[in-house]
Amino acid sequence: MTCRLYEEQLSSYMDGELAGARAARLEAHLQTCPHCQAELDAIGGIAMRLRAVSDALQVSHDFDRRVLRAFGYYQVTGWTRPTKSYLRPLVCIALSLLALLAGVWHYFTRPFEPPPVWQPQPAVPVIAPAAPSAPIPVAPDRESRRSQR
Amino acid sequence: MEDAVRTAGWSTDGRLAMADDATLVAACAQRKPGAFQELLSRYRRPAITLAYQMLGDLEDAEDVAQEAFVRVFQAIPRFRGQAAFSTWLYRIVTNLCLGNRRRRKATVELEAVREPSAPDSPSQQVTEVLLTRQVLDAMPPELRAILLLRDQEGLSYTEIAEALRLPLGTVRSRLSKARTAFRRIWHELSGAGDEVS
Repeated sequence: MTCRLYEEQLSSYMDGELAGARAARLEAHLQTCPHCQAELDAIGGIAMRLRAVSDALQVSHDFDRRVLRAFGYYQVTGWTRPTKSYLRPLVCIALSLLALLAGVWHYFTRPFEPPPVWQPQPAVPVIAPAAPSAPIPVAPDRESRRSQR
Repeated sequence: MEDAVRTAGWSTDGRLAMADDATLVAACAQRKPGAFQELLSRYRRPAITLAYQMLGDLEDAEDVAQEAFVRVFQAIPRFRGQAAFSTWLYRIVTNLCLGNRRRRKATVELEAVREPSAPDSPSQQVTEVLLTRQVLDAMPPELRAILLLRDQEGLSYTEIAEALRLPLGTVRSRLSKARTAFRRIWHELSGAGDEVS
């Protein structure tokens, strides 16, 4: 068998897809043929080169969102983003601290009001009772006017 | 599988990430929140990479991958699980790529690829990446697809046969041809003496 025929089997051999007897014959040939051994190594190098391309690829950061939106995911599942369980206590603690800080801030930044100082009040003048005045004339009501007539 | 879906925590407890593909597919069929995202995060990069290597353009590749995921998610309630989820997805991506008539040529010029540089330097790596793209672009699409499914995505011969709906013997012979073509074109584009190794 020539190298050309073996070369056709190298691909399957590389992937472990060559049957036992044929694989054994090829292995024996590879021991004595540097050309076919180099071919086998070269086939193995293709996968490495392809993966180098895929490793260098930069995928868009919003790809998932675009797919889910195009699929109509949010309507299908009725899904809304849940608050992660470990975030809830953190959020509560943060809000409590904020409230505490706001209270402290308000206490120390309010306008200063000095305490009231006692001052003697001036004496209140005594007002003499007013002298009796003339009685206020009152218009006679209707009954008294009738009787006067 | 149904029990696994019921018992697994699908919300935020991290067990979602440990579920296998079949469990996630069943969860998707039941519209469990989170299962879609997990499948998407697992196969986003392989799908886009496969499409990119087939088409040579990242924008087109993302469009094709998006279309493939949408088709998969829409059809998931009817997925019978006879093939692996990955095989199913790769088949859709490959078919979309082969049918893509709006394919644009890669903009990389060969002269830029041939720019001399020191071995193993970063620019050497970039050069080899670009040259690999050129080689793939020059290959017939059918050979390119089978080469990528095997040497990039790591599918078995049986899975490739399922994905491309080909007999196993055809997969074997076509893959051998694809590897030979890749090496020949690499040799032509990179210059004499620079073999794939």
